Amino acid sequence: MLIAIGRRLNLLIITLFILCLGSYVLAFLFPGDTLTNLSGTPPLSADQSHQLQLMYALSEGWFSGFWTYLKLTLSGDWGVSLNSQTPVFDDILYLLPASLELSLYAMVISLLVGLPLGVLAGLKHRTYTDLGILSVSLAGFSFPVFWLSLLLILIFALQLGYLPMSGRISLLYDIPYHTGFILIDILQSDVAVKDAALKDALRHLVLPTLSLSIVTTALVIRLIRRSVVTVYSSDFIKAAYTKGLSHSQVFWRHGMKNALLPIMPQLAMQFTVLLTNAMIVEVIFSWPGIGEWLIQAIYQRDYPAIRGGMLAVSAIVVTFTISVDLIVRILYPLNKRQFYAQA
Amino acid sequence: MPRPSFYQEEYYPSPMRHTWTEFQNNHVALAGLWCLAFFILAAFIGPMLVPYGPLQQNTDMLLLPPAWDINGEISHLFGTDSLGRDLLSRVIHGCRITLGSSVVLVLIAMLVGCSIGAYAGMSRGLRASVINHLLDAIMAIPTLLIAIIIVAILGTGLLNSMWAITLALIPQFIHQTRDLVRREFQKEYIVAARLDGASNQRLLMRDVLPNMVEVLVVQATMALSVAILDISALGFLNLGAQSPSPELGAMLSESLDTAYAAPWSVALPGAAIFLMVLSINLVGDGLRTALKKRLLQ
Amino acid sequence: MRCLAILLSLAIVGGCQPQVESNIPVEGLVYCSEGSPITFNPQLDISGTTADATSHQLYNRLIDFDPQTGKLIPSLASSWSVSRDGLTYAFQLRKHVNFHHTAYFKPTRSFDAKDVVFSINRWRDPNHPFHQVSGGRYPYFDSLGLRQIIKEVNLVNGYRVEIKLHYPDSSFLATLATDFAIILSEEYANQVMAEDKPELLDLRPIGTGPFKFYRYRKDAYIRYLRHDGYWEGNDSVPKLIYDITPRSSLRLAKLITGECDVIAYPAQTELQVIEERADLKLEERPGLNVGFWAFNTARPPFDDPRVRQALALAVDRKTLLDTVYFDTAVLARGLLPPSSWAFDETLQDTSYNPVQAKKLLQEAGIEPGFSMTIWAMPIERAYNPNATKMAELIQHYLAEVGIRASVISHEWGSFRRLLLQGQHDSVLIGWSADNGDPDNFYRPLLSCSAIASGSNRANWCSPEYDLLINQAVRNADESVRLGYYQQANQILAEQMPLLPIAHAYRFQAYRTNISGLQINPFGGISFANVAKEPN
Repeated sequence: MLIAIGRRLNLLIITLFILCLGSYVLAFLFPGDTLTNLSGTPPLSADQSHQLQLMYALSEGWFSGFWTYLKLTLSGDWGVSLNSQTPVFDDILYLLPASLELSLYAMVISLLVGLPLGVLAGLKHRTYTDLGILSVSLAGFSFPVFWLSLLLILIFALQLGYLPMSGRISLLYDIPYHTGFILIDILQSDVAVKDAALKDALRHLVLPTLSLSIVTTALVIRLIRRSVVTVYSSDFIKAAYTKGLSHSQVFWRHGMKNALLPIMPQLAMQFTVLLTNAMIVEVIFSWPGIGEWLIQAIYQRDYPAIRGGMLAVSAIVVTFTISVDLIVRILYPLNKRQFYAQA
Repeated sequence: MPRPSFYQEEYYPSPMRHTWTEFQNNHVALAGLWCLAFFILAAFIGPMLVPYGPLQQNTDMLLLPPAWDINGEISHLFGTDSLGRDLLSRVIHGCRITLGSSVVLVLIAMLVGCSIGAYAGMSRGLRASVINHLLDAIMAIPTLLIAIIIVAILGTGLLNSMWAITLALIPQFIHQTRDLVRREFQKEYIVAARLDGASNQRLLMRDVLPNMVEVLVVQATMALSVAILDISALGFLNLGAQSPSPELGAMLSESLDTAYAAPWSVALPGAAIFLMVLSINLVGDGLRTALKKRLLQ
Repeated sequence: MRCLAILLSLAIVGGCQPQVESNIPVEGLVYCSEGSPITFNPQLDISGTTADATSHQLYNRLIDFDPQTGKLIPSLASSWSVSRDGLTYAFQLRKHVNFHHTAYFKPTRSFDAKDVVFSINRWRDPNHPFHQVSGGRYPYFDSLGLRQIIKEVNLVNGYRVEIKLHYPDSSFLATLATDFAIILSEEYANQVMAEDKPELLDLRPIGTGPFKFYRYRKDAYIRYLRHDGYWEGNDSVPKLIYDITPRSSLRLAKLITGECDVIAYPAQTELQVIEERADLKLEERPGLNVGFWAFNTARPPFDDPRVRQALALAVDRKTLLDTVYFDTAVLARGLLPPSSWAFDETLQDTSYNPVQAKKLLQEAGIEPGFSMTIWAMPIERAYNPNATKMAELIQHYLAEVGIRASVISHEWGSFRRLLLQGQHDSVLIGWSADNGDPDNFYRPLLSCSAIASGSNRANWCSPEYDLLINQAVRNADESVRLGYYQQANQILAEQMPLLPIAHAYRFQAYRTNISGLQINPFGGISFANVAKEPN
C-alpha cells in the first residue's frame, strides 16, 4: 500500500521534473534570444542583458542554469509575457480558475447525465434502449467540439436570442476578483444587483458548458455501460442472484460498486480531455481562461507565455490524473495485475 | 471423377473472415462502412469530378445559398462562400486533405508506435519500467494538448500539425502493442516455439503479429477519428492548415466571418467532419464488437 | 434521448428564459472595439485603435473639429489668433476646466497654460524630462516634421499661450485639432515623476475629457467612469466599457445578442444584416481615408518604376471594390478622397491592362515565374476591411501576368514591426486622415521624413515631391496649393510608389436605444453625451 503511494508520488515528482526540464529546453528551442524567451524582457542594454544572464545563471553551464531555473520556477517567477509585460505566473493564476470552473461544471453535468444513462444502457444490454443510448452517445462523441459550439451559438444566441455568447458575465457588472470562480465571487461580493449578476453569469455559462459536456457525456456513457456489462456478466453477480438477493440489492451492493470503481481513473481522464476541449470552447466563447490565453500566446509568438502556459496545463493534467489514480488505489486496493486486466 | 465425400463438411472460416461475418451482421456498422467508403471515394476521385477548383473565385456569385434554397442555383449545389468559391468543391477537396492527412499520419504513428511497443514488450527490467512510467504520464495528457504544444514549438502549418498529431498518437500505439506483445509472449504456443529455438524476431513477425492485426486495426480506427478531429481543430484554431487551404477546420474558421449571413458555410464543412468521424467510429465500434464476439466463441 | 440530455443540463445550469436584456443594468454602455490600445497617450501612437480608445474619451485638445461641418471650433482654447505673417499663434485658454479626480490622483488646481506648454514640449523638446519616457517616439508629429516647424512655445500668462513657428504652415491649426494633440496634466506628471514612475503618465492616464480611467486589462476590457466635473457638462452614461473583440464577426454577433451597444468597424459583408434588423442602426459617412497597395521601393526590382507600373496595371481594382468592399467605397484615383477640397477632378485613372503590364515587365527584365510577397494587414480597417481576401484576389491577377505572389500576414504588433524593418515586397494597408488638410495625406504617406517614422510604407523618397508638398503647405491660398498638389499627383502617377485602391465609407453600427453618438469626420469616436434607454 505504502509502496503504491510512494510509487505514485515518485512518478508525480519525476513527471513534473521532466515537464520543468522540457519547458527549460523550450527556451533554447524557440527561435530568438534564449534570454528573452526565458525572462520575457527584451534586453535593452548590455548591462540589463548581463543582469539577466546572472539571474538565470546561463554562463555557468547547463546544469546550474537549469537548477537556477527550477528554483525560480518553484518560487513563482516565470518571467513576463512578451506581449503584455505582465508576470506569466500571475496571469496563469488569474486565468486558471475560469478554465477550471468551466470544466468542473461540464464534468458535473456529464456525470449527472452520463451516469444514469450509462447504467441504464448497461443493465438493458442488447435492447432497443441500449441501442438508442449507444447510438446517441456515438454521435455525441463524433461531434467536433468547435462545430457544436458554433451550432449552439447560431441557434440559441443568434437566431433565438435566448442566451449570450461571449465572456463569463456582462462587463457591466464589475465583480471584484477574489477566488476567480465567478459564481463564488458574485456571492461574496457586495454589488447591489447580486441576483441579476448571478443570473447573468449563469446564462453566460449555459452554452459553453453544454457544448463541452455533450462530448464528455457521450464518453462517460460508453465507459460506464461497458463496465456495467462486464460486471453483470461476471460470476459473482450470478452468485449474488442465486443467493436470492433482489435486483436492487444486487445493484447497490455489488453492481455499482464494482462497475464504477475500476473506471474511476478513466472517468477522471475525461476531465483532462475536457480541459483540452475547454481550450477550443474558450476561444469560441471568448471565455477568459487559460486556453484562450495560451492560444493567443501561440498566435503572437509570446514564448515565455507559451512555456508557462504549457507547463501549467500539463502539470495540472498530470497531477490530476496521478492523484485520482492514487485516491482510487487507496479506496480500492486491488493489486496491480487485476487492476490492469479489468481496466 | 469427383471423389465421394464421406465426412460431413464443416466449414471453419479463417479468423479474419469470421470477424467480417460478425461485422456484416451489424447493420449500423455496415452503414458506417458504406459511408466511410463514400468519403474515401470522394477523397480519391472527388476532386477530379467537381466542376470548380477549390481556390477558384467567381466574383459574380458571392455568398450564394445552397441549391435547395429559394435563392440558390443548381450550378453551385452547396452554394458559395464570400469569395465566390464553390462550397461543394471545397468540401470535397477538404475531405481529401483532412481525411488523407489523417490516414497518412495514423499509418506513420502506427508503424513507429508498434515498433517501439514491440521492443518494449519484449524487453524487461529497468528499461521497460522507465518506458512504462513515462508512457503512463504521457498517455494521461490528451492528444490535442500535446499537438498544440508541439505546434507551438514547430510553428503553424498543415505539415507541422500533422507531425504534431503523429507524435501525440504514438504513445497509444506503443501502449497497446506493448501490452499485446507481452500477453502473447506468455502464451504457451510462443513458449513452445521458443523451445524449438525460434528467435524473438521470428516469433514477433511470424506468430505474434498476425494475432495482433485485428486489434491494431481497431486501435487505428480510433486513432483515425481522433486524428481527424484534432487536425480540423488545429485548422480551426489557425494553428494547422492556413486560410486559403480547403482543410475542413480551416474552412470552418474562415466561414465564421460570414456565419450570420451565410450559416450554410458553417454548417456544411462541419457536417462533413461530423459524418466522417461518425462513420469511422461506427466502423471501429462494429469491428470491436465483432472481434469480441469471435474471441468469446 | 439527446433532447432529454440537453433539457436536463439546461435545467441544471439555470434554465432558459427568452427575455434577454431585461435584467442588465442600463447605467453602462459597452463598446466593442477592435483591439487593445498600445498606450493611453495618443501622442505616442499613430494607430486608430489607440486614438479611438483614448483621445476623445480621456482628453481634450486646444481646438476641435465640428463633427458636422469639419470646421475648427474652440475646445480648451476658447479663442485663438494668428499673426499676419502666419508665424505666431496665440491661444486664450478656458478657465475652470477640471482634471480627473481619481483614486491615484487628486488635482489641486484646474487646467491652465502650464499644462499646454508641458503637453506640447513633451513631444517637441528632446531634452524635456518626459521626452524619452515610454519610448520617446511621437510618430504623428515626427511624420509631419512638426518639431522642425515649431520655434518656441511661450507661456504668456496663466491662461494664454503663444506658439511661434519657423515658417508658415497652413495646416498647423488642423494638426492641433487632431486626435494626437491632446493636453496632459502637468501636475500629475510632477506627481508620477516624484514617485519615480514617470511611465504611469501614459499607463494610468489623467486628462480633462468626459470619462476617467478606471481599469484596463489588455486584450480584455477598458473601464471608464463618467467625469462628473467635466467642463462641458456631462449627461453621458455613468460607465463606459470597451469590450476588446478583434474579430468583426464576433462583434456583430455580440451586437445582435445585445452584449455590445456599439461596435467598431462592422465588416462590409455584415452591413446588410444590420440594415435588415429593426433593433440595430447603421450610420454611414464618406470617409477621409485611402486604402492602397504600396510597393517597397527600397527593394529591387521594385525600385524600378516600370515594375511598379506593371503591377498596378495588372490588377482590376473594380473587382476588388466589389468583392472586398461590397460597393461601400469609391475607386481611388489618387491619394485624396473626393470629399477633400484639394481633390483633383482631372486626375487620370490607372486602368486594368494586363497586356501592357506584361510588356512593361518584359522591358524591366522580369522573367515569368518571378515570385514576390504581398503583405496583408491582419486587422480590419474602414479603408481595407479584409486585406487577406484582397491579397488572394491580387494573387490571382498577378498569376495571369506570370508573377507568383505569396500572401503573408502576422499578428498586428509584429506585422508593423516587420514592416518598419522593410521586410515586405508590397503591402496592402491604408491611411485614415487625422484632419481635413490634404497635407495629412501627402506628407505622412510618401514624404522622405515619413520613412523613419514608419508611415511611408513604400519607403519611397523623392526630393522633388517633398519640395512640392512643402511649398504647398507654406501657402495659405487654396488655389495655389491645389496647383502644387496637381504637380505632386503627376509625379505619383509616373512613379507609382503605391497603387491607391479605394476610399471607403465609414460605418458605425449601434443598437437603437443608444443616442448621442458622434462620429468625427477625422478619426476617433466620441462617447461624450451618449445616452442609453432601457428597452
